Amino acid sequence: MNKTAFQHGNTGRMRIHVLPTKRFKTFAISLYAGIPLAEDTVTATALTPFVLRRGTESYPETRQFREQLEQMYGAGFGFDVYKRGNYQMVQFRMDTINDSFVKSKDSLLESSFAFLGEVVTRPVLEDGHFRSSYVQAEKENVRKKLEAIVNDKIRYASERCIEEMCRHEPYRLHPLGQRSDLDHITPESLYKSYQQWLDTASMDLYVAGDTTLEEVKELVNKHFAFSSDSNDVSYKQESSTRQADEVRTVVEKMEVSQGKLNMGLRTSITYSDEQYAAALMYNGILGGYPHSKLFMNVREKESLAYYASSRYDGHKGIGTIQSGIEVQNYEKALEIIKKQLDEMRSGQITDLEMSQTKAMIRNLLLEIDDSAFEMIAYDFNRQFSGKDRPRAELLQQVEAIQIEDVKAAAATFELDTIYFLKGQKEE
Amino acid sequence: MEKLHFDNLQETLYTEVMDNGLHVYVLPKPGFQKMYATFATKYGSVDNHFRVEGQEEISVPDGIAHFLEHKMFEEPEGDIFATFATNGASANAFTSFDQTVYLFSATEKIKTNLETLINFVQNPYFTDQNVEKEKGIIGQEINMYLDNADWRVYFGLIEAMYKIHPVHIDIAGTVESISTITKETLYTCYNAFYHPSNMLLFVVGGVKPEEIFELVRSNQAAKSYKLQGDIERIFDPEKVEVAEKRHISKLAVSMPKCLFGFKEKHVGATGSDLLRRDLTSKIMLDLLFGSSTELYQKLYDEDLISDSFSHEYNSSPQYAFSAAGGDTADPDKLLARVREEVDKILQNGFKEDDFERARKKKIGGYLRMLNSPENIAHEFTRYQFRDSDFFSVVEVYESITLKEVNDRLHEHIDWDQLAVSIVVNP
Repeated sequence: MNKTAFQHGNTGRMRIHVLPTKRFKTFAISLYAGIPLAEDTVTATALTPFVLRRGTESYPETRQFREQLEQMYGAGFGFDVYKRGNYQMVQFRMDTINDSFVKSKDSLLESSFAFLGEVVTRPVLEDGHFRSSYVQAEKENVRKKLEAIVNDKIRYASERCIEEMCRHEPYRLHPLGQRSDLDHITPESLYKSYQQWLDTASMDLYVAGDTTLEEVKELVNKHFAFSSDSNDVSYKQESSTRQADEVRTVVEKMEVSQGKLNMGLRTSITYSDEQYAAALMYNGILGGYPHSKLFMNVREKESLAYYASSRYDGHKGIGTIQSGIEVQNYEKALEIIKKQLDEMRSGQITDLEMSQTKAMIRNLLLEIDDSAFEMIAYDFNRQFSGKDRPRAELLQQVEAIQIEDVKAAAATFELDTIYFLKGQKEE
Repeated sequence: MEKLHFDNLQETLYTEVMDNGLHVYVLPKPGFQKMYATFATKYGSVDNHFRVEGQEEISVPDGIAHFLEHKMFEEPEGDIFATFATNGASANAFTSFDQTVYLFSATEKIKTNLETLINFVQNPYFTDQNVEKEKGIIGQEINMYLDNADWRVYFGLIEAMYKIHPVHIDIAGTVESISTITKETLYTCYNAFYHPSNMLLFVVGGVKPEEIFELVRSNQAAKSYKLQGDIERIFDPEKVEVAEKRHISKLAVSMPKCLFGFKEKHVGATGSDLLRRDLTSKIMLDLLFGSSTELYQKLYDEDLISDSFSHEYNSSPQYAFSAAGGDTADPDKLLARVREEVDKILQNGFKEDDFERARKKKIGGYLRMLNSPENIAHEFTRYQFRDSDFFSVVEVYESITLKEVNDRLHEHIDWDQLAVSIVVNP
């Protein structure tokens, strides 16, 4: 592993993390802003970045805004809204060419901060609130996005499974919010909630590239205009995992060629837990890779599916299984998947499965060094969970895991929900 | 071993052709942990009718290149994924219109993994039983794509444009077409297209070039390949006109999807001509449909397009077309408005400062891509298979003129060549 590490500091409002490196041709910038996931704020928070990307004080028209990015050698700019644990995250990203590769008059790093600072803290306003036409258009845009979830059946099934499983918690909410809320949002109300969000969200700004912590701090102070400087809004972790009482099955019908079988499991193991490495191994052996039990048994042995895999979300304490099958093979696929879960619980795991999974996790952790945004994402786990888990340490923990440890981790994974999306005609 | 240094990109490429004809390229990325390697054959879904020099002409079932890709992972001792996993490598493969690519990334045991990659691709193992078993898996893959609205609208557009050329056939084939595949047909295709002289090995990452070449040289020297003649790929003549003006597919969607594009009238360019036309077309499309254009903003304000609106240019020596579109509540209105606005642009052409900005954006996008070993390997191979030079992209962008882009605009936008694909609710 490279001996490069993030330098940490902060300005009034944000924690700042800088990785000085010459390995990449760009400056990678990421701003994470998180607030607790809650029904009354989820939609406004989701809508906010869509409006922010329409125009700023200096670039009030959307075309000017986008032309400025092109002028900066097509700087990459984007944002995501997603759930992380019990938080709703808004993440802005920029990826700008290091000036040494192009004939640019201005510092592209400074231009990037000037741009991002404006996007986040100096939106274009009219009458003291967001521009009405932008709010109206972006409400429609978000509404369409929410409606479009159903177009991607794999994603739809996976989100529906989580929604059903977490129907009594805020985690059921979609990160883009609720359609019914959109009608009530006005330019005034949205601007108010934006200011609230700007004052209270937990904020981490990351930069990886040929720069220093000092330079970044200076640029942040110069280009971000926060009204509040309440720093140290930390993420708070609560172990809110509900224990599954009995397995619930939800079947939904739609016009599809292929059935989608999804399952949700609960575990008490989260990112900061001592058993975290064992949970990673559990997921890897069960369905994280092409050598895993699910792929080998559902796909290779039985030819029931093209994809059959599992995922583990350590920030929420959830495991999921997903597969696409013929509708009439439902019982058979379910039985095979359950058998794999039983094998995990009873520790029917081979030494080969152990060593292969360790090697794959090791590769995954080492590869992080080759991508600026991956390194940023890994470091952010620490800011988010409060648990400092250097990669070298996690690697050692994974190496040390025994079959008994995986078995112990398996005991914490309880099947909660089975979700099946099937065709309308078949019965 | 030949060394090519690109000062403007701060990259150095090493290359050598093995005695059996295999082209090997190594791009060291100092400071990178991983090695990413692709082993590619110039053989994709369109190569369904061919003749190897000195042999008979043959037609093979649709979807066989993709089927072959799946079957390569099976070796007498078992699934090759397991071997990669044992050595900590993450492996995969994909098939496109004109190539099949096998790949892995690894941070350790890179020599062992590289040998595994080369050896499994050069060791076919097909049995009646393992071929039958795969039909169920690929059948599910085909069904998965049938439910995918973006895939359906995209293929619908190609089907609307091309009647004869096999680019219009789904890469995986159909459940019916793959049912006729046997181990014999697989071996026939394998023997024709997996000869080293039709293949390219690309290695990128934290590696020492001489070590890689040494390994490949001795690995290839130990295998006895007879020299193979040229492969003639046979394409029946395709009409200039589009096959159908409008293609409709039915699928459960929240809003219709509409993709439109122009089928190129003249094809046949290769190498640097093809590259230049490609890049010129990309600037032209960006100036027409990019998210900073007047047209885009108008359509967005009129609620006819959403963030999903995008555009691309796809070309090869035998086919070339543009595609633009996304989700829209009213496909007909969108198409009418596009035509109206594009006709206005056709009158005056593009402006100099817009052109300069679009060019900058493209150069920046290319440089950003060079951060990714995966993208470098994929793009380099794709370019090489059509005799284009991936590392000349910045120079070509810098040499393209506004006049060329405006000429391209007038040549490409011919409403008679327009085809439309729409996905709507059943």
